Order: sequence, then structure tokens, then C-alpha cells
Amino acid sequence: MATTTPASLLDDRPSALPLFVVGSVVAHGLAIATWLILGWAFGGPKVDLEQTPIKASLVRLGKPRDEKLLPRKEEEAPPPAQKVEEVALPSPAVDKAVKIPSKDAKPDKSAEKKDGAKDAKKSLFDAFNKTGKAGKPEELEGQADGDPNGDSAKQEGERYFGLLNSVVKRNYDVSSTIDEAERRRLRAEVALRIGPAGELLDVSLVKPSGNELFDSAVLGAVKKAAPFSAPPEHLRDSLKKSGVSFVFTP
Amino acid sequence: MFSRVAALLVLVPSVVFAQRPVIEISGANFRPMPLAVAVPLTQDDGAKTGAAEFDAALSFDFAACGLFQVLDRKSFLADAKEGVTASSIQFPRWTDVGAESLIKTQLSSDGANLRGDLRLFSVAAGREELKVSESVPAKDARKLAHKLANAVYKHFTRETGPFETRIAFTKKSASGRDVYVADWDGKNAARITNGDVNVLPALIPGGGVAFTSYRSKKPFLFASHGGDPVQLVAKGSMVTGGAFSPDGKRLAVSVSEGENAEIYVGNADGSGMVKVTDTKFFLNTSPSWSPDGKRIAFVSNRAGNPQIYVMGADGSAQKRITFQGNYNTTPNWSPRGDLIAFTARDERNAFDLFTVNVENNKITRLTQDASGNEEPVFSPNGRLILFSSTRGGSRGLHVMTFDGNNQMPLPMEKSDVTTPDWAN
Repeated sequence: MATTTPASLLDDRPSALPLFVVGSVVAHGLAIATWLILGWAFGGPKVDLEQTPIKASLVRLGKPRDEKLLPRKEEEAPPPAQKVEEVALPSPAVDKAVKIPSKDAKPDKSAEKKDGAKDAKKSLFDAFNKTGKAGKPEELEGQADGDPNGDSAKQEGERYFGLLNSVVKRNYDVSSTIDEAERRRLRAEVALRIGPAGELLDVSLVKPSGNELFDSAVLGAVKKAAPFSAPPEHLRDSLKKSGVSFVFTP
Repeated sequence: MFSRVAALLVLVPSVVFAQRPVIEISGANFRPMPLAVAVPLTQDDGAKTGAAEFDAALSFDFAACGLFQVLDRKSFLADAKEGVTASSIQFPRWTDVGAESLIKTQLSSDGANLRGDLRLFSVAAGREELKVSESVPAKDARKLAHKLANAVYKHFTRETGPFETRIAFTKKSASGRDVYVADWDGKNAARITNGDVNVLPALIPGGGVAFTSYRSKKPFLFASHGGDPVQLVAKGSMVTGGAFSPDGKRLAVSVSEGENAEIYVGNADGSGMVKVTDTKFFLNTSPSWSPDGKRIAFVSNRAGNPQIYVMGADGSAQKRITFQGNYNTTPNWSPRGDLIAFTARDERNAFDLFTVNVENNKITRLTQDASGNEEPVFSPNGRLILFSSTRGGSRGLHVMTFDGNNQMPLPMEKSDVTTPDWAN
């Protein structure tokens, strides 16, 4: 009868961990070396220095007009542009404009090195910054008085009313026969209902100004502006049933 | 941008429609009213004689006054013989051509007189807005048109229209230049002088015209009330730029003395002239009265080049008001009081017209890139400006609104016509 000696839990037992760690380090090292070698040998797009550059110019406003000079009319068209022939493309050799690389262009190694060093530095500082800020609560973006649950529907509604405002205003033509004194006191309110596709269902003058020319002009402005864009989903019902009012002043 | 648009939207609950949002809109685009002027209907041969003149004058008045966009008759869809009463007019046909108002006229003659009936209709409402009748001597068809046009103008603006006012100008003649006085559209012109060189006419409130004339060898100020010109001011070596105060009681002139020219103010008959500027070796010319008669605008080169100044009618508080450009001349004070129109030579050496706001000195350009434009003068109601221009060849007279819109030539011969003046 064989006697069995129970193995102690404290006895040393052979472990595979060191072997696994060594194997992992070697495998990762090989993978990184392979990636670096392949990247050096084949990586990066080639830059074709001979290609025609696409020139991007930064345009800024011209010098402001000398205040001593008499004003020009703003609505007048600017003087005719210079001859087209004069705008010749600069030669690629001397051009400093941004070039768009081709698919298989080679990267500029020196630049890559510099950039790489910069990036490393930047990421290091970023890491420090993140660590430093880690204790602070996350800052929320947006308006202080905004809706914490989101306001996309409200914004969409405001955008739609803004659109109505601009299309009606574009057609807000009033006869210049109305004298200046009377213009100051004119105010008219027009109510309208809008269908789901933006069609004008009905329009009426709810508060006339007392000047027929003005009243007819504001009604005309709404009628000429229709049909409108389709209202957003959440406004369709209210615009169809209650509508919207425009209050016109000159 | 979006926040600005959003700011325009005032969402306030309405008492009646609690759910209805309210959008406030301002910044109307004021533009001339589309007006259809139908061909006048004539009831007899006498009326037919003056119909063409009447029609031309009426159409020009409406087109040039800046309030209306007179529609081209070629686009009219209505029957030319359509009636003149609301019940006989097919308003949809006028709506279709874009008319907002419609003018219908009817002429009749009893031999000595020409009678005109004008009706103004609101096309959208299909309703008669105004009915007016006038009668003039048969030869004055244009005058009849001006009277009726004035009634329409007053209906819309509650102001007296400019269509029965007078203008004066000079025109080249075989022996020099002559002064003419005409209707506001340049028609019905009467020659006031005959021979010699006569320049710078100034209409006298209540009738007559003054001008600088070389008839007494030296250029002095004369006036004519229909008869022979009489000398008003003879001082220094030259008297120019005669200008009468709006009440017609006082006269301002520029008197050249040696190397300088000074402004004098005195009585309308030329008496009691008192020097109100005193700048040795400099020129002070072209006086123009403010509508209240308390101030005078003038040109002075005391700052090195000609600029516009204003001062009290007694010469007090002289103040420069133009600081842009280096050659600003011929000021004319608006009867509304707020603006002074003037001629300026800009950096391209082009002569163009500008206004300067008397309160804030803000300069606004009125003409641009349209040949040489000079010598602006406001209409008596301040809504229009008459000026001379070389556009289209020889110098002629043109009219535009006070803000430089609706520039159009007067329907008169362009033969070196210059220095207009305009008065009631």
C-alpha cells in the first residue's frame, strides 16, 4: 500500500510566467523592429515635386480708403478685373504654396524627424497637462443658460422662424409714396397658417396700420414669400392650427 | 449671425392665440410705387390737339419725381378704350402688369379752355382714390398736366408737388450766354436776357430772376422782373453768386476786391450791403441760404483749397463742414434744412455731386461714373435735385431724388445749358 504525501500549498512549483514574459518581450520587439524596417523601406507617400501645384491664396481686405478722399458709392460694382493672362501660374521650383502629395509620394524624412520630435514633446506635455487637470471636474461646453437635456428641437424651431423672417423680409417692399412722418408710426400685424409642406394655408391682417398702402405691402410680402420651407416636425401641428404672426414696422 | 436673427424673433404669447409665436420684421425696402398711366381719353378735336403735350408732361412728372415707377405702356393688357370709372375698369389686367396704382385722364375743350379730369385708382382694392379736375387756357396743356400731377403728389405725400415751380439756367448764345426761366421740366422756356454774357441766375422768391451780367462792362448783379434788367449790386471788380433769402427780403452776394472775394449781405433790392466775411488773400463765394434764413453756406479757400463752410447770416460762427476731397464748390442748402448739396472734384479728377449733413458733416455721394456732374440745386420741397451734366454729350440739365436715385435728363434740348436754379 503506497503512502501518499499531500503536497503543501507552500511547496515551490515550476511556473511558466518567466518564459511567457520573455517570449512576449521578444515577440513585441520583433514586431516593432519589423514595423520600423517596413515603414522605412516602403512607408509614406511619395511627393511628386514635378506636379502642377494648386495654389491657395489667403485673401484679406484691401487698405481702408483714405478718410480725406471723397466716398464712393458702395453699391457700385468694383472696377473691371485685371487681364486674365496676367494671372500666370508660378513655376513649381520657386513656388512656396502648399502642395498636395500624390498617393505614393515619399515623405520628407528630415521634416518627419523634426515633426516626430515635436509630436513626442507635445504628447509628453499633453500627458502632464492631463495629469494636472485630472482632479478638476470636467468643463461643460455650451451656453450657461442652455437646456441641460439638449435643445436641438428648440434651435431647429428658431432656425425655422429665422428662415421665415428672412424670406418675408426679402419681399418686404413698401411704396416710397408714404411720407417720412407717417412711416414712424406704422405698425401692422399679419397672422398666417402654414401647412406641413410649407404651403400658405391662409393669411389675414389682424391689426391694420391704418395706411392702406402699408397694409397691402405687408400682406403682399407674406404672399410673395410663400410657399415656405417645410416646417420641422415638432412645429407642423402648431403652425397648421395656430399659425404664426408677423408684426411689421418700417 | 444666427444669434442676431434669433434676437429678431420675439416669441411672446398673444392674448387671443396663446400658442402663436410672433416674429417682428422691420427694415422695409422703400421703393417707387409701380404706377400705370393710361393714355388720355379725348372727348373732342380741341382736346386732341393738346393731348400729346399733356400726356408727355404728365408722364414725365410722375417718372421724374422719384415716388413712382411709371410702367411701360407696351406691357399694358387692358383695352386702350377702357372706361375711366371703377366699374368699367378691369383691374385684374392692371394687376397682371404689376401696377399698384392706375391713373386715368380725360380731356375736353370748349375752344378757349382745356379741361382735364384725372382719377387715381388703387389697383389691389379696385377702388377710386382720387378724382380731380382742372381747367387752363387751351394752349397750356402742359400746365394742366402739372396741376393734375401736383394733386396726385399731394394725395400721396401731403406736400405740395414740384411740378408748377420754375427753374432758371443759362444757355450758350451767338454773342455769349443768356438767362432763361422755364417750367420745372425745362419746357416753356423764356429768354430773359438778349446778348452779352449773363451767368449765375438766381430766382427771386415771388417772381423775377437776378444774374451776373457783363452788360455794363464789369460783371455786376442785375435783376429782371420781365422788363429790362436793372442793376442790383455794383461793387468791387465783380459781383457773383447772388442768392435771395427764402423770405425774399435779403440778398447775399460775393464781391471780388483785388485778390480776395468776400460775402456781402443786404436788402433784396441791393441796398445796405454789409461785408460778413473778411479773409484777406482768400476767396469766399457761392452763398446759399438755410431755409430759416439764419445761416449761409458758402465756399472758401482759406484752408488752402475750396471747401464748404457755414456761418450765421451776419458772418458769425464761421465753420468748415467738408473735410473730404480738396475741391468742393457750389453749395446749395436743402429747403428741408438737413443737407447741403455740392460739387466736388474727386481723386480721379471727376466732378460729381455729394451732400453733406449739416449736423454731423457726413458726406454722401450722389453721382458716380457718369461723366461730369455739377451745380446741384434742390427743388423747393427738398425732395429732388436739379444739376448740370455732360453725360450723353453736351452739357444739359438732369434731375434726381435728393439721395441720388432716379437720375434722368430734362426733356429739353442739350445745348451747353448750365448753372440751374429752382424756386417756387
